[in-house]
Amino acid sequence: MQEFLEFTLGGLAVGMIYAAIALSLVLIWRGTRILNYSQGGMAMFTTYVALIVINHTGNYWEGFAVALASGLVLGAVLERAVIRPIENKPPLNAVIVTIGILVFLEGLAGIIYGGQFRSFPPAFSIVGLTIGSTALGISRDDLFTAAAVLAASLLLALLFRYTSVGLRLRATAFNANVARLLGVRIGRVLTLGWALAGLIGALAGVLVTPSTFLYPNSMDSIFVLGFTAAVIGGLESPLGAVVGGLILGVVLSYAGGYLGSDLVPIFGLGALMLVLMIRPSGLFSTTAVRRV
Amino acid sequence: MSDAVALAVEDLVAGYRGAPVLDGVSILVRPGTITAVLGANGAGKTTLLRTITGLVRPRQGRVLVDGVNLARRPPEAVARAGVAHVPEGQGVIAELTVEENLRLGGLLRSSRAARSAALAECYQRFGVLAERRRRPAGTLSGGERQILVIARALMAAPRVLLLDEPSLGLAPRIVAQVMELVRQLRDEASLTVLLVEQNARSALSIADRGVVLNLGKVVAESGAAELLTDVGLRRHYLGF
Repeated sequence: MQEFLEFTLGGLAVGMIYAAIALSLVLIWRGTRILNYSQGGMAMFTTYVALIVINHTGNYWEGFAVALASGLVLGAVLERAVIRPIENKPPLNAVIVTIGILVFLEGLAGIIYGGQFRSFPPAFSIVGLTIGSTALGISRDDLFTAAAVLAASLLLALLFRYTSVGLRLRATAFNANVARLLGVRIGRVLTLGWALAGLIGALAGVLVTPSTFLYPNSMDSIFVLGFTAAVIGGLESPLGAVVGGLILGVVLSYAGGYLGSDLVPIFGLGALMLVLMIRPSGLFSTTAVRRV
Repeated sequence: MSDAVALAVEDLVAGYRGAPVLDGVSILVRPGTITAVLGANGAGKTTLLRTITGLVRPRQGRVLVDGVNLARRPPEAVARAGVAHVPEGQGVIAELTVEENLRLGGLLRSSRAARSAALAECYQRFGVLAERRRRPAGTLSGGERQILVIARALMAAPRVLLLDEPSLGLAPRIVAQVMELVRQLRDEASLTVLLVEQNARSALSIADRGVVLNLGKVVAESGAAELLTDVGLRRHYLGF
């Protein structure tokens, strides 16, 4: 029972990270039908930016804020400069270009910062919390991670649902041609989608890196699991992305805890295959949920 | 009727690849009138509207709205210049609610107050949309969807409304209602309409003027009543 509690809460905490990566992938997929393979690389890069600011100022929160802001800018710049020319081209072009961005960012990080593993500070204590003598399997920092991802998801949901910018974003995602005929400048909308994705990815980067170290490839495996979470959620639905992340986090936590941590990657792949076999369009592919 | 022109298409040449689908089309649309564009399948009617709104780039020619040339501008710019295009096959955004579709149409209005006034006016005119405002647009019937897309286009207070085959897939009774609605909008709100229809008889029943396209060229142009009585033209191009 004790173990079950620890694995469950720990899994939910890690799942929040997958949820954030999945959310950033969904934001771009909905608008452009592009799967952004460079999302992890972008998050790695903005985390380096955060580390430099933290080392320079000694203030974690300044680094945190700068990371999010640079994620926003990086997303917007990449869309304008690199993605815009290949929109409406065959899908393979986008695959190659986003992988190219990933290789470029990882190479650039290696040139600027070197390849060594660096530790990245957490926002709060990573000492496990207990109630009485019962260990919960999560720390204050995990609670912050969960709160930050949930807050970001909630803000996105409010933006989508209740603002005219959100209405433009959703209209463009569902039917870009009709949106254009109604005067929506979809170029700006797509840039905004990438910027928001860059921001959420940057959030995932600073939240996960305290437990993984920072190096040019540090986000690769997390990106793969975030991608899995996005597919579980159906790639279309922001809510699905968050739920997919949490399901994956818990499943992998049980697999690692009860069966051995070597099995985690296999279970990640297994979860992906299972969902694709039973519901190929993801768990949240119905239109009722897509409206979120 | 004055000499004012709401929309002027001048010598428009356009096509997707190879031979042009529009081969030098010129049309004048006067403010507050309905101009019907008629012709068989493949005559270039839909391409004409798509070229006016920038979904197809013309190779040659001009599209003037209030004297400003909009040819080769992107669709969003044409929409912002006051041209509302209701595409063939309707184009409701099924995943959005009825109200969200309408709000989307109203985003071009300058102020928040103007947007809510437009929405209130819309609900007053179209009671059926007010009843279904919270429903996803995809759950509406075909006739209700056609009303929604027209109402959505009106939310932007367009200078010119381009309607592509509003009768497509609708029962005759509903077609009559939609046509009656368009006529009312002209009479009561001085709306300017360029109406593309395969169903020539029902289009001419409300139109002021008619233009007949064949193989990308204007082959006839006159008052709607004269077109209706020109038996030879009807047999040859309009099929009734």
